Amino acid sequence: MHRFDRLTRRSVLRATGHGAGAILSSTWLSRLAAQAATAPDRQRACILLWMAGGPSQLDTFDLKPEHANGGPIRPIETSVSGVQFSEHLPSLGRQAEHLAVVRSMHTKEGDHGRATYHLRTGYVNQGSIRFPSLGALLAKELGDLDADLPSYVSVLPQRAFSQVAVSAGFLGPRYAPLVVGASGDELRVEDLGSRLDAPRRAERRLQLLGDLETNFLSGHSGAATDGHVTAYDRAVRLQRATAARAFDLNQEPDALRDRYGRGHFGQGCLLARRLVERGVSFVEVTLDGWDTHDNNFEQVKTLSGALDAGWSTLIEDLNSRGLLDSTLIVWMGEFGRTPAINPRAGRDHYAAAWSVVLGGGGIRGGQHIGRTSPDGMQIE
Amino acid sequence: MLRWLTLPFVVGCTLLVVNSARGDERASAAQLAARIDALLEQHWQTEGIQLAPRADDAEFLRRAYLDLNGRIPRVSEVREFLSNDAPVKRAQVVEQLLDSPRFAVHFANVWRAELLPETMADRGAGVFRVGFEAWLQDRARAGVAYDALVRELLTAPIAQDGQGAEPVLRDPVRPNPLAFYAVKDAKPENLAAAVTRTFLGLRMECAQCHDHPFAAWSQDQFWQQAAFFASVQRQGAGMFAPLVETVAVRHVTPPEKDVAQAATFLVGDEPDWSREPSPRAMLAAWITARDNPYFARAGANRIWAQFFGRGIVEPVDDFRDDNPPIHPKLLEELAQAFAASGFDIRYLMRAICLTDAYQRSSVRTDASQDRTALPARMPLKSLTGEQFFDSIALATGYRDQQDKGAARRLLQTRFARGAAAVDPETSVQQALTLLNGSFTDWAANIDECPTLVAIDSTPGLTLDEQIDGLYLAVLGRLPAPTERAKIATVFDASPEEDRRLLLADVFWALLASAEFRMNH
Repeated sequence: MHRFDRLTRRSVLRATGHGAGAILSSTWLSRLAAQAATAPDRQRACILLWMAGGPSQLDTFDLKPEHANGGPIRPIETSVSGVQFSEHLPSLGRQAEHLAVVRSMHTKEGDHGRATYHLRTGYVNQGSIRFPSLGALLAKELGDLDADLPSYVSVLPQRAFSQVAVSAGFLGPRYAPLVVGASGDELRVEDLGSRLDAPRRAERRLQLLGDLETNFLSGHSGAATDGHVTAYDRAVRLQRATAARAFDLNQEPDALRDRYGRGHFGQGCLLARRLVERGVSFVEVTLDGWDTHDNNFEQVKTLSGALDAGWSTLIEDLNSRGLLDSTLIVWMGEFGRTPAINPRAGRDHYAAAWSVVLGGGGIRGGQHIGRTSPDGMQIE
Repeated sequence: MLRWLTLPFVVGCTLLVVNSARGDERASAAQLAARIDALLEQHWQTEGIQLAPRADDAEFLRRAYLDLNGRIPRVSEVREFLSNDAPVKRAQVVEQLLDSPRFAVHFANVWRAELLPETMADRGAGVFRVGFEAWLQDRARAGVAYDALVRELLTAPIAQDGQGAEPVLRDPVRPNPLAFYAVKDAKPENLAAAVTRTFLGLRMECAQCHDHPFAAWSQDQFWQQAAFFASVQRQGAGMFAPLVETVAVRHVTPPEKDVAQAATFLVGDEPDWSREPSPRAMLAAWITARDNPYFARAGANRIWAQFFGRGIVEPVDDFRDDNPPIHPKLLEELAQAFAASGFDIRYLMRAICLTDAYQRSSVRTDASQDRTALPARMPLKSLTGEQFFDSIALATGYRDQQDKGAARRLLQTRFARGAAAVDPETSVQQALTLLNGSFTDWAANIDECPTLVAIDSTPGLTLDEQIDGLYLAVLGRLPAPTERAKIATVFDASPEEDRRLLLADVFWALLASAEFRMNH
């Protein structure tokens, strides 16, 4: 059923050269659908590095050392001449040839919730339609509902600003993300793994569920009951060795784990690589804490440390495995921050001129797109 | 003294009058129910559709509780209903549910989700949720008619310019219709889009930016609707900024255009401003007029869809020529009856609940039932997050105090439904939460969960009686003989010391089942 869903009217028309009237149920239909779903041949993926709170563009990728708005953070040269990053992103600077910095973001939402919704769904939160987040869209278009691993994984989502922005909206729960949270130092899929002392009991429960549901399921055969059974099957499969191993970072060499950074964000980047490698279409990794109304420069310095290690190692790692070309990495938050520095050495919300960074996925790196005025207030 | 003596008499008389009015209403609702079934019957005949049988009492009761009160019935309510022999007991329970305080709570949840979905999507808007629901609850308890509700929303008082500004949030828990204006940013285009979509079933917002290629509405018409809200202005920035109104402002200039659009009705006469100077009141009167061609149909269709999962026009907010009703005559008569009742919401719901169509089983008994979007059997409906949570809380005996409402927040969000009311979906994360989550861990703990504790510790219960208790608490029915036999086999095979845990595991399996997850 889901394979058919994926077949858009346009793709059918294109693939058959006939009107939609020619499409009746036949065996080639599912083959055609499968082809449409997997073309282009390469399995593509996207990793979103989500900077919750709104990162300061002036202290990361759009520095203004000549202007009072620039603040104390200094620019450094990168591997691409003419492209400068903050001094706190040195490793990333060495990967600049893979990165395209967009310095001309201009949006209208200055509130965390609304801006988060806007940037993560592509729509302003108005009216009665609950739009899906980008991850759910990609899961629908690229993912395989039968795979052991889910198509959309959200690592450490910050859900306080907008619950819906981490959901499948109108696409429905099938495309909702699997959520990876933190438990102490470790990253863990929420509710993966039984809390029961005896594994036998977990099995017995599933057995009982299957036995006692039989009547209802057979009396109500259809998409809803199928989906219910499938969700449990997938949840159970996810707990089995091969799938659970995808989430087990202990499989990685210590040295590599160190290079990613041992914090949640760095380990989340490593997890993203493991998942993309296993065919997951969309992984988002959140680094929270960018809402720097106070003490901006110290906070940005600390955050940059985690960001620099995790992101630069991710690029390197994907590249060495031949996955960078098919994996788009997007770095963004819900908005940028005010060029003017407030009396608490902080920066406030600013949507009029800010930056996002793209890399991999066939993006031509080593460039910047757009430019802001010398004071950083406007896009030129 | 005289006053005290006469009071009971007056009250008695009033009650008599009310009761007899109620009696008429009930008779009329029964007539409408019969008419709906007759119209449907023609459809079944022409389409050659085999109907599902009448739902048994337990299936009906659970459905009626979920649809009218937003939660499953309690064990005592199920037992009482099953043992009641009165032939009119279904009509009686519908009456009782329409009168219950829970009716207003559920009504408010449903309409808040329609009118202010934004409150679930972002934190700022979320602050307005409680107050808006409180207003809806308040109106539902007062028995407000549908047209009056819409008028009250559209004409919610706002200070006129020069009289100071109207705060949009005085106290988050106080009834607050202005939440609607605040969350829509007090923008004419947002308000107009929501109002036409919800109350007229017309999706005009696409015409906000361009003439719609397929629909009859032009961009100008969209902005002419929006102009009815141009009188409302925000003082300052942000959702919490106060509002003022200048009734003389009745036009709006669309962004990047030079020409202002004046408030004009979508169809019908020009507004007569000498009679009604307030543009919001003018719009409200036009929308809710008996002869408005859209209002009654859109409202009746929406209420139908709340009970059957799908509208007679589906999506319920997409009335247009190339999306016709699947049964035009049925929709027309429902709309007429709704309008003729004075837009009495409970009347229409009562009639729907009394139909054979509503009282049919959800069990798929014939392939022909898949061929129609009308209810040849009751479709499976997904629970809203609130219905799911309120039901699981009731089944387990959860109280917010035990974790300061953490489970409520988590489950309401994680089990919120997608866009479609029919064909409920289950996510892997939902399955994981039911398999291993901390709520489940508590709910299936025989020493903690109040329902389990009660069933386990009541002296003298046989195993059969305990299993009955679990089934009644979770599924609102008694186990089928086959189910009873399966459970007995498992119990027979387990050692005595394991039986308490086994009881808890059966409870878990019922909570995790598709039957519990769905409104069937």
